[in-house]
Amino acid sequence: MGAWAWPLLAVAAKAAGSCEPTRLTDLGQLLKVMATFLGLSLFSIGGGNTLLSEYHHLSVDQFCWLTTSQFNDLYALAEAAPGPSSMLVGLLGLGAAWREGPLWAVLTGVLAEVAILLPSTLLVLIVCLGWNRFLHSPWRVAFERAMGPISLGVLFAVGVKILSLSDTNPTGWVVSLLVCALVVTTRLSPLWMMAFAGLLGGFGLIHR
Amino acid sequence: MTEPLAPAPTLPQLFIGLLQVALSSFGGGLSVWSQRIVVEQRRWMTNDAFLTGLTVARLLPGPNQINLAVYVGATFAGLRGALAALAGMLLVPFTLLMGVGVLYFHLHGLPVVDRVLAGMVAVAAGLALSMGFKILPAYRADPIALLLATGVFLAMQVFHVHLVPLLLVVSPLAMAWYWPRKGEEMQP
Repeated sequence: MGAWAWPLLAVAAKAAGSCEPTRLTDLGQLLKVMATFLGLSLFSIGGGNTLLSEYHHLSVDQFCWLTTSQFNDLYALAEAAPGPSSMLVGLLGLGAAWREGPLWAVLTGVLAEVAILLPSTLLVLIVCLGWNRFLHSPWRVAFERAMGPISLGVLFAVGVKILSLSDTNPTGWVVSLLVCALVVTTRLSPLWMMAFAGLLGGFGLIHR
Repeated sequence: MTEPLAPAPTLPQLFIGLLQVALSSFGGGLSVWSQRIVVEQRRWMTNDAFLTGLTVARLLPGPNQINLAVYVGATFAGLRGALAALAGMLLVPFTLLMGVGVLYFHLHGLPVVDRVLAGMVAVAAGLALSMGFKILPAYRADPIALLLATGVFLAMQVFHVHLVPLLLVVSPLAMAWYWPRKGEEMQP
């Protein structure tokens, strides 16, 4: 078959609903995960949240590491847990390699997190150690002014995407919108909301 | 504030301090806690210095709180300070989360676990939606900014453009628009 046939097959496979992750060795999988996140690191402008749509696309659509439902679960766990929510990437790595066994999966998770943080952290370090030159550079000013509105657009797109993926029943949607309103207007801790909604879910009032 | 600042933190203090920030942020609110702990409670730096750090952290790629930890650590002890701060912010929380993750993959088939998670997912979706609304006020007065944001939103949501190509195309254009003119104030 010609080279053109493969993309057509992939499209056909997608349409048929199959999403079989390609068979790689443990190490191959690990390296693929690391390379993926290394490449994304410098594009996480405006905080780690702008990459959320990309994370979903990669882990669910492209590499078939997780289902959407699992992705949503991991996102919720990363938000609830103490610490930066960008630790989600560790969970994605864990999921990507889960079939290789928990130990290897944890290793993949750790290295995935290192990969997503390394480039951007190095950059921050360099800038912090040489801040004075950076401070007065027109590049910095232009970048700062430009990134704000761009982040704004991306965050809204990501927010809408995550909401549409959540696939909960109407009660769930009401809860989501209520949470959004409360978080924007009050200082109520999302942890209480998670606990309350978890209860609602446990009783079946929220389901997907 | 007339009280003097505390002496510069040592490496172990940086570790503990940032660990405290991370653990306080159960369910979110990392930025609030980092300010409370670094500026008000431990008095390592003034609020102004902290806000400069927050600006740097937000400006550069990477998670804001990670970047801030690097800034705080680097301010006091260069590279080793940054590493100590990062370790404080990440080591314990990440280990915990990996444990939770392993539990999740073992247990997520259980109906009760799945049901509780459904509730949490609804909350997380609300949190995701709130992100844009939270930074919106800063741009209300700038029509070009709003236009740019709307364009980016439509490109991603309606035309399904991916983030990386979008950024590569839009950022230079936006930067050219926002390039400082001669004599403009360039303070952060």
